[in-house]
Amino acid sequence: MLSIISLSIFGIVNLFLGFLKSRRILLPATLLFLIVALILNSMDWNQQALYFGDMLRVNNVFVNFAGIVLITALLIVGISRHFGNDEEHTHPAEYYAILLFSVTGALMMIGFENLIMLFVGVEVLSVAMYVLTGTDKRNIRSNEAALKYFLMGSFATGLLLFGVAMVYGATGSFKLGGIASYVQMASMYGAVSPLLYVGLLFLFIGMLFKVSAAPFHFWTPDVYEGAPTIFTAFMSTVVKTAGFAAFYKIASTAFAGVYGFWAQSLAVMAVLTLLIGNITAAYQGSFKRMMAYSSISHAGYLLLAVVAKVPSSQSAILFYSLSYSLATVAAFGVLMAVSESRQFEGRGDDRYEAFNGLAKTNPLLAFVLTVSMLSLAGIPLTAGFWGKFFIFSAAVQANLTSLLVIAVLMSCVGIYYYFRVIIAMYLKPAEGEGISVSAGFTLTLVLTTVLTLLLGVFPDVVKNIF
Amino acid sequence: MPILTTLIFLPLLGAIGLLCLPDSARPVFRWVTLVLCALHLALSSWLWLSFDKQLIGYQFTETFDWITLTLGQFGVISIDYALGVDGLSLPMVWLTSLVMLVGAVSSFEIKTKEKAYFSLYLLLTGTVVGCFVALDLFLFFLFFEFMLLPMYFLVGLWGGPRREYASLKFFLYTLAGSVFILLVMIALYLSAVDPAETALSVGLVKDRAMITDQVLDQVHLAISQLQVDPAQLVHTFDLRYLSDPANYVPESLLSTMAGHEIFGMSARLLAFALLFIGFAVKLPMVPLHTWLPDAHVEAPTPISVVLAGILLKIGGYGFFRIAYELFPDGAVYFAAWIAGLGVLSIVYGAFNALSQNDLKRMIAYSSVSHMGFVLLGLAALTPEGANAAIYQLFSHGILSPMLFLVAGVIYERTHDRSIDGYRGLATPMPSYAAWTAVAFFASLGLPGFSGFIGEFFSLMGAFNSTYVPVWMVVAGGFGLVLGAGYFLWTFQRVFLGKTWTMHDTSVLTDLTFREKAMLVPLGLLSLAFGILPGTLFSITEGYVMEFLKKF
Repeated sequence: MLSIISLSIFGIVNLFLGFLKSRRILLPATLLFLIVALILNSMDWNQQALYFGDMLRVNNVFVNFAGIVLITALLIVGISRHFGNDEEHTHPAEYYAILLFSVTGALMMIGFENLIMLFVGVEVLSVAMYVLTGTDKRNIRSNEAALKYFLMGSFATGLLLFGVAMVYGATGSFKLGGIASYVQMASMYGAVSPLLYVGLLFLFIGMLFKVSAAPFHFWTPDVYEGAPTIFTAFMSTVVKTAGFAAFYKIASTAFAGVYGFWAQSLAVMAVLTLLIGNITAAYQGSFKRMMAYSSISHAGYLLLAVVAKVPSSQSAILFYSLSYSLATVAAFGVLMAVSESRQFEGRGDDRYEAFNGLAKTNPLLAFVLTVSMLSLAGIPLTAGFWGKFFIFSAAVQANLTSLLVIAVLMSCVGIYYYFRVIIAMYLKPAEGEGISVSAGFTLTLVLTTVLTLLLGVFPDVVKNIF
Repeated sequence: MPILTTLIFLPLLGAIGLLCLPDSARPVFRWVTLVLCALHLALSSWLWLSFDKQLIGYQFTETFDWITLTLGQFGVISIDYALGVDGLSLPMVWLTSLVMLVGAVSSFEIKTKEKAYFSLYLLLTGTVVGCFVALDLFLFFLFFEFMLLPMYFLVGLWGGPRREYASLKFFLYTLAGSVFILLVMIALYLSAVDPAETALSVGLVKDRAMITDQVLDQVHLAISQLQVDPAQLVHTFDLRYLSDPANYVPESLLSTMAGHEIFGMSARLLAFALLFIGFAVKLPMVPLHTWLPDAHVEAPTPISVVLAGILLKIGGYGFFRIAYELFPDGAVYFAAWIAGLGVLSIVYGAFNALSQNDLKRMIAYSSVSHMGFVLLGLAALTPEGANAAIYQLFSHGILSPMLFLVAGVIYERTHDRSIDGYRGLATPMPSYAAWTAVAFFASLGLPGFSGFIGEFFSLMGAFNSTYVPVWMVVAGGFGLVLGAGYFLWTFQRVFLGKTWTMHDTSVLTDLTFREKAMLVPLGLLSLAFGILPGTLFSITEGYVMEFLKKF
């Protein structure tokens, strides 16, 4: 709980640090703030408590999800490189501050116990992201992305709020416990108010939009492509992890009593998400856009665990989020380095061709990206394999055979597009000079790679905590 | 010394060692690889000699705890680093060392990016051996999938013009097969328990050393009566436990008793079918074979040698070790289908081989055809058939490298593999013609060579079998005739008659010492195993007797 308070304060402190002459202090300061928050967060281990008038619940699940979000944020700050050297047009102090605020929002989404808190968390996170998406002010695509994200995002939050209101109308409570007991009683007597069903669907739609699951994914490719890469990395890791933490919590506690009602529709959406995400990703010419569709497809695998709703689902979602976040940060980090040094049509080149021959010019970056792709594809000895393994285990336990078959086939499609970039790096002739990157940047990327491999060989170390 | 661990990690350490050498040590890479492979062969020959043929079960076993995952109410999964060899895996391990040594000699022709090539080559060696000696299904799967990566790069970086397509196709096909295996693996560990570890976790015994057969029986009884709290069950991937139906929790998905159904089909039969498909891609079996000719045509010669010599064997090995041992009911249920697919592979592969003009493509299809005999022998479920299936795997592991080396010899000289590009090569290249004749005749099943034993006994086994219809055996026999057809016809077109080629005849020099050093030992080995099949049968017999008791 202290982590949430401290992060909000640190965000404000960061804004004031912007008045200092030296911009160099911002990055280490933000890293320090996040590390402090991480330590404060781990102090909540084994503390069961409700805070702020039963608005927020802190337990081990909170600590785990918050830990993943904070570690991911740390890594992303580690590869942020002061957001470029453009003194006039970038405002690192504000960016770092907004980043910290959005992490605060993510923590609220993870720990909420009251739907109002969920809404506040979603808004804090989303508004911060709308701003960050548009920070590349002179890039028309960034502007387009921000506007698109804002319009569609606020529509989704509107639906979410409407859903909350209707659920309140049906159950008379904003609290998860209150809703759960109503749902249990009402479904026992077969007298569930239709208002609850509609409210539940609206709530789910709002959440599914945030995690970019089909058919609410249309904003994802454009926004991911338009946003500066560093914020795309943030969007596809932190937002998704927090989104799924909140989504699973609400589905498995408040609405557990009407599982039969939402499982069906969610299963259909999981299939749609898997199919659309994977098949469309295979047709992309741009690596960044491929990563957008791949993030949709990973939402599909995570939905599989939500649909299964067995006791092991939660730890499967935790492990999957962690492995996915690590790999995604590495992938976007390398993309940043590559697209900044190679231009195409007057802007950073994010096509597959930009990676041609990277193995020769920058073997380390190529290796980092290869491990990240293998992890996303779910090849053994990487963290991603275990993520898929646990998700599939949960699905087998819940007897979701047909869903599982589709997920397995789609994971083969995934190999195809993840390998395209490996092919480009290793099998195509080199174009252009080697890319020079700073030591801190390289260190962060190597750290993600090492963690991915360690989790791949010794998953039990982390899994037994979850 | 833990010999099996050494066999896996010697090449892996070698690979790391090569990576650490500076680029200036370029000429040494190939020699380091050669020496390591020779050492590997020496070690596995020692393994062969010290293997006790009388003992039943696994020998040279090594077991260490590796990953222990607690699943809360669902108990614990324990994944072990468990290795061992028996009459099935021992010949495969030895074959791996042999083919890898031959491949290392053949790799001398690699002239670009040697460091990467030889490290990947050693990495491949280690993972393939790991596949054959792993006793834990998870460990097996790990090696099985991880092996694809070095193979992918070896074909993709050093291959022919269409290498990107071929290597990706190879990767996707095998991976598609292995995700099916992964699904079954998940269902298996959810269903089966390790009785020894469970005895410890419920507190029946205090120490591992106190576990006796009575304790295990007690655990089995308790499990079968659902007296054990699910949270205390220790789930396992250990093949030794997975193959015993008593270790399956009643009412679990793959229990023999429960009879669960998925899509209106028995869950166990479905699991067998998925495993079968997974390994059939690797074998390969018609109609899942289309990646093989492409991969072979594009791969450089040493990689073709390894691919045909060992990688295909993992498919056959997987049938025995995993699909058949864990799901004997499925094997019996689908026996006629499997035999049918085997015959289809034999005949379809042979007809295709007959129509090819590319020498490597012809040999690739002959591999498909020869692997069909493995399926036929296996489906028979008779002692002759099962022994012959293993024998055929082994014999093909000696002969197919020879065939690809033969194709490599001419390709290296002229960069042209078309059969109609040459006539009468026997005159300028007499010893090449002689050793090609040995390879071709041995492969087409001439008595006296190893190919004959495998094919003859698998047909005989299928004939004696109650599961295989007689017409299939007859059709399989017809495949033998076709085999003789395409080998003899190719030999006649390329080697006999008046010398003619579209290339400069001055490049048509006879075999070099290095080429002879590869072809002659392989030819002699094929002859030796053809005359004295007992050397191999005496090792596989004990395994096959135990194996057939399940059916």
